[in-house]
Amino acid sequence: MGPLFVNEIITQGTDFLFAFLIGIGFGFVLESSGFSSSRRLAGVFYGYDTLVLKVFFTAALTSMLGLLFLSLFGWVDLSSVYVNPTFLYSAIFGGVVMGAGFILGGFCPGTSLCGAVIGKIDAMVFIVGLFIGIIIFAEGYPLWEEFYKAMPLGSPKLNEVIGISQGVLALIFVLVALSLFWVGEWVEKKFPAEKY
Amino acid sequence: MNKLREINPLLLLAMFLIPLALVIAAVPENTTKPYKLTVEQLLSELTVGSQYFSSDDIADLIVKKDPSIQLIDVRSESDFKKYHLPGAINIPLTDVLYNENEEVLNQDVKTNVFYSNGTVDANQAWLICTQLGYKNNYVLQGGLNYWAESIISPKKPGDVAPNDEFAKYDYRKAMSSALGGGSLEAQSAAPAQSGGSVPVIQKKAKKKKGGGGC
Amino acid sequence: MRSEKHLNPYLGGVLLGLVLIAANFISGRGLGASGALKSVVISVTNTVAPAHAENAKFYKEYNEGHPEGPMSSWLVFQVAGVLVGAFISGALAGRLKLKVEHSPKITSRRRLIFALAGGILFGIGSQFGRGCTSGSALSGMAVLSLGGIITMMAIFGTGYALAYFFRKNWI
Repeated sequence: MGPLFVNEIITQGTDFLFAFLIGIGFGFVLESSGFSSSRRLAGVFYGYDTLVLKVFFTAALTSMLGLLFLSLFGWVDLSSVYVNPTFLYSAIFGGVVMGAGFILGGFCPGTSLCGAVIGKIDAMVFIVGLFIGIIIFAEGYPLWEEFYKAMPLGSPKLNEVIGISQGVLALIFVLVALSLFWVGEWVEKKFPAEKY
Repeated sequence: MNKLREINPLLLLAMFLIPLALVIAAVPENTTKPYKLTVEQLLSELTVGSQYFSSDDIADLIVKKDPSIQLIDVRSESDFKKYHLPGAINIPLTDVLYNENEEVLNQDVKTNVFYSNGTVDANQAWLICTQLGYKNNYVLQGGLNYWAESIISPKKPGDVAPNDEFAKYDYRKAMSSALGGGSLEAQSAAPAQSGGSVPVIQKKAKKKKGGGGC
Repeated sequence: MRSEKHLNPYLGGVLLGLVLIAANFISGRGLGASGALKSVVISVTNTVAPAHAENAKFYKEYNEGHPEGPMSSWLVFQVAGVLVGAFISGALAGRLKLKVEHSPKITSRRRLIFALAGGILFGIGSQFGRGCTSGSALSGMAVLSLGGIITMMAIFGTGYALAYFFRKNWI
């Protein structure tokens, strides 16, 4: 049955309409969880607020389990769901640069959009930075194209690489994440933040 | 509801996630290949009979050594060894779903034609492949039985038969001799005329990509 | 802090997970943000400097791969939705307010300079990582993508490694 668009059950136009609706849900949840505040976001790195940790991993686990169940019931064909291709060096380097950007800027692209739209000026400036960054990448593309495309590994899933089933890997993730949450709540009590 | 609020949210989350994860870890993964056709689409194709290739067409293609055709024998291996059509490969009906056969069955370059003794097994193979969304799969009409009747040893039509019956007979005779069967009796062959239309090889519909790139 | 007005993070996470499931079920793909910004950059370049877009390799490759145009993209529509959704949420909770949020220990000016620098780094990083926190890390993790999980670990790992040096900005 699903994915509806890939299996041509809905048209491109309908798919874009759903994209808009899904975006509304995405933005609403991000903003109401507190992701429009850079200080709450950055809190995860100092232990005074582990909001990011909780929302991020709960969301990842929920959809991981949800998709596995949908696949089990035959409602979604997981082989037709897009999986990011892995280019090893570029993925690591990109992550490191984004991590640095996160600690400096206090936002990531999705959350900065949420912050900007409710009036956070720092978020608006962050978005300007994003545009500049993308333009820098685009203009310098010939310089790092080789690196960008180095070590292509296809679109592997982690469970295939370590040789266990998706379900077992999901279970491991659930247990690890729940322990992280537990540690996070303990740390939050230890490093209480002042009001802001 | 108030009771629910008193529970630590983390505990509540764990109470949901852990059992669900245990279930998903315990059950085998769903590796069922999804069916692509609805029953209506399938029935309409069956009614039209568009999955059939006539034995005359196949004979013609074999004689011409058309590289776009791939004959697939779905009978057992021993039957295949005893006799098979020239250039055919053997994929017994029971092996159609094996992954190593997917390369042959799910492609958009060649025209696959299944055959068995009758048409029942070949039709089943065709049905499975069509359901899986594989393109370019067809069935030899009448199977090997009709093939033997019509191509290997064609019957001479009665004297009062219409002219095109004779043309057909001559044609089949020619095919038969070209394929190494029957006798070299008919010399007035008209090989240019071949029965039905040869389906044009269809390009496999490109699967829509979900796309990506954040 | 942890104001009553914000959702419980676990509830927020479950809801976000459901949105992500919907995206995968309906469109067969995850969520994202930086891809839409890339679309905007390419679209502007195509309009403002068409000659440059034809010569520079990055734009050329993108335009060849996307004959329907950069703005006809799933992510562009999704991000438009994000703006609307976040605005509705902010309006309902009474959080619509023009301000620069920063630690009391630093000035607004310093905060904005760092925000700009962070944005530039994130913009570059999201291209190398083939997606940002939402597109690569979150959506990738949901489908157990190796690349997504590597990027996710690199983001958080670097964040923790550098946190000490920038603590004044946040605490």
